[in-house]
Amino acid sequence: MGLDFVGQGAAETDGNIITTTIDKVVNWGRKNSLWPMPFGTACCAIEMMATLASKFDLSRFGSEAIRFSPRQSDLLIVSGRISIKMMPVLKRIYDQMPDPKWVISMGACASCGGVFDTYTLIQGVDQFIPVDVYIPGCPPRPEDLIDAVLQVQQKIASGAAPKGVEAVYE
Amino acid sequence: MSEENQVEEQPKPLILEKLEANHADALLAQDESRGTVVVTVRKEQSYAILEYLKTDPELAYTFLVDVTAVDNSQMESELMQFDYARFMVVYQLYSYQGQCRARVKVPVHENDLNIPSVTTLWQGANWLERETYDMFGINFEGHPDLRRILMPDDFEGHPLRKDYPLRGRGERERFNFDKQNM
Ligand code: SF4
Repeated sequence: MGLDFVGQGAAETDGNIITTTIDKVVNWGRKNSLWPMPFGTACCAIEMMATLASKFDLSRFGSEAIRFSPRQSDLLIVSGRISIKMMPVLKRIYDQMPDPKWVISMGACASCGGVFDTYTLIQGVDQFIPVDVYIPGCPPRPEDLIDAVLQVQQKIASGAAPKGVEAVYE
Repeated sequence: MSEENQVEEQPKPLILEKLEANHADALLAQDESRGTVVVTVRKEQSYAILEYLKTDPELAYTFLVDVTAVDNSQMESELMQFDYARFMVVYQLYSYQGQCRARVKVPVHENDLNIPSVTTLWQGANWLERETYDMFGINFEGHPDLRRILMPDDFEGHPLRKDYPLRGRGERERFNFDKQNM
């Protein structure tokens, strides 16, 4: 992934000058340096850890800098069940992340409550925070999470606004 | 083999012998479940009995494994047996010395949910009793800090009661983030 990737439609002069748009360069940078904030609350988090560890190695895709501080991250991975007591915490962490930020809802529980159709479980975090990419599965395999990260990268590269920003301007 | 023979073959557990000798008036029922002695005792004497089981040098049920409760409101047989007491507070004990378990059950009526706390006997009862309070609304008298432990502080109701709807009363869809000082 060199500069030629950025330079779609760019003109080369003398082999030294590349023109592009500032958006494209910025998005290219963002996309390849996602800093995920892991929000692992249940079994899905085990798969997330496997994804981050050496066997599946998410850092191959430019996401190796896991930050446990929301203020330093731009990708929230919600992996696991969110109870009604945890939802304000999750919302607060989402609010603390600087814009632009993306959200992955990993697994059936985070996306729709999964098999836990009970009084205490949020039936899908998208009721309260905007979600960019959903991952089905219980739990999803690490490849699914990698695929979701790649989808987020595609979304960034395409210049589309994160779901959260869309929601603000709607 | 008749019932009588079976009873004669097995020696009576020490705990039952000692309870019958010392606290016969408190015993409502005695049973056996998968090798565990189960005794049901009156609420008024529950603290005295648990203290006795813990401190008696021969029994020495020094380990409180669990405190929980059962809502018997849909268990007609249980209700009838114990004077229509809706709840049954259950203490699981273990004796390292005798390497055996015991279960102490205490019927609690819905119109009087108070029961003495055993935190003075076992420090570990603190959170277990808070959980039982949270889930069933049993009021443990003398507990140092009887607050909810699992559900949010502003939660209403006691969700493990059988009349609590499984999907809740809409609390999982209703959220007021301002109220939580966001
Ligand atoms: S979706 Fe399955 S694996 Fe993931 S948190 Fe729910 S129950 Fe666990």
